[in-house]
Amino acid sequence: MRALNGLKAVYQKEMLAYFYSPIAYFVIAVFLLGTGYFFTYNIFLTGVGTMDQTLQNMGILLLTLIPVLTMRLFSAEYGGRTIELLMTLPLTNWQVVLGKYFGAVSIFLLMTLASCINLIPLYIYGNPQTLNIFSGYLGFVLLGMSCIAIGQFFSSLTENQIVAALITIPVLLAFWFVGHLKGLQSSVVMRELYVNLSFALHFGDFISGLFRSEALVFFLAVIATALTLNISFLKMRR
Amino acid sequence: MIELDRVSKRYGSKTIIHDISFHVKKGEIVGFLGPNGAGKTTTMRMISGFTSTTSGTVKVAGYDMATQNHMASQRLGYLPEHPPLYDVLDVRSYLRFVATAKGISKTQFPTHLEKVVDACKLASVVDKEIYKLSKGYRQRVGLAQALLGDPEVLLLDEPTASLDPGQIHETREVIRLFGSERAVLLSTHILSEVTLLCSRVAIINQGRMLAVDTPDRLQQAAEESNVVWVEAAGDEAAIKQALQAVDGVVSVSSSTLPKAKLLSFDCMVSEDEGIQQRIARAVTSAGELQRLERRKPTLENVFLRYVAQSSKNPE
Repeated sequence: MRALNGLKAVYQKEMLAYFYSPIAYFVIAVFLLGTGYFFTYNIFLTGVGTMDQTLQNMGILLLTLIPVLTMRLFSAEYGGRTIELLMTLPLTNWQVVLGKYFGAVSIFLLMTLASCINLIPLYIYGNPQTLNIFSGYLGFVLLGMSCIAIGQFFSSLTENQIVAALITIPVLLAFWFVGHLKGLQSSVVMRELYVNLSFALHFGDFISGLFRSEALVFFLAVIATALTLNISFLKMRR
Repeated sequence: MIELDRVSKRYGSKTIIHDISFHVKKGEIVGFLGPNGAGKTTTMRMISGFTSTTSGTVKVAGYDMATQNHMASQRLGYLPEHPPLYDVLDVRSYLRFVATAKGISKTQFPTHLEKVVDACKLASVVDKEIYKLSKGYRQRVGLAQALLGDPEVLLLDEPTASLDPGQIHETREVIRLFGSERAVLLSTHILSEVTLLCSRVAIINQGRMLAVDTPDRLQQAAEESNVVWVEAAGDEAAIKQALQAVDGVVSVSSSTLPKAKLLSFDCMVSEDEGIQQRIARAVTSAGELQRLERRKPTLENVFLRYVAQSSKNPE
């Protein structure tokens, strides 16, 4: 119970900080505008009532928006010297890292939920496959949670928020596009590696309604690794 | 309540803190004195657990900071050099966050809040966003955060910095009040603060602990190399020469007083016995003695003397 209290304290503080500053509103607004545009464009272009292409586009949009959401997580604490408070309160590193992580994930879930408004016209005028949409959204949530964990880790490395975002964006893009390298490789091992590291390919499986446990494990492993690195770095900093 | 045992801190090959040991007991306010860059803040950070020690142990309320960090930090209130405030939050939400993190339940929070808001005189700003507050209020919100939850040990890094004289007075009263039943370590450059508040003083320079004692005893210890101040009329060079010839006078510095063409001499003396009489005789032989006074060393002298000594012989 005590462990949860500490986590709750950090989480509530994060949520307040997001909504007292323009960041959350900005990220949610841009995301919804982008999603709405992609949805309309894809529907009118193809005339097919699916979310497949829209979810793909939302994934790429996410790679540029998540760093804006995560860049402040630790960098702002270093810059504002509040890290000294956070590290000397009776909180464990786990409580701090998870409290912050869940805060950012909550904002992300909120905007994901809001984007579901596109499903209303889809269901009224089309005949979409519910299973595909469900699995696509599940993949999207896993993708977003992985990106947040990575962004949060990079934010813990620097006190400059812009630098944190500028490192996170190329890393996320690399995870997205790494699958394309498989065509350039003759070695089977390397090809497998590239395919298995790719956000785009794992996410693509979810979008096409293919629920593979490897993909689920992959995203969960990325989240666990990034958060563990985050904690190790905080310990090392002392 | 605070115990440091042969604590050192190294960054790479550079040693910032050399083997310092001291303790603060319950009911005691200890002043931590040193010039900028002496290692005060690093030591404070090691006690708070923010920075790890390279060697040695830090105990807070009996708990080892390195191995029982959680137990130790539950008993500690810490105000860092820069008050750690979240600018976008209002004072109440900020203090609520700190309270929740310290394990204060929702139902107890209003009582705790009222106590620190009263003590730190924050009632008028409690619903304001922190970025709108003046420096003095920010400092006091920082103090309120440290006092929240009645910690047994208080660690205050320059608590009165950036306050106006009235606020300094109020803050000192708060520290005195809270310090009576707790262990308080406060760092400062303001020497009068130490004499007013602290029962003991720890002087640090270049990462070494130079002295830990009561302000009175430190003053006594420094008395042997006292200053004798002489006011005289006559020829400046002649009097100076006569003074320098006196047994036990180490150095003489002179200045002309603006009024009545009087000369003023500061004699650093090393010996105590009969020195005033000998100086008086020497001055009378060369000019006209107006006044002779034994200067009591202020804590400032003591401090400067310790610091000068340690800078001269670093090992």
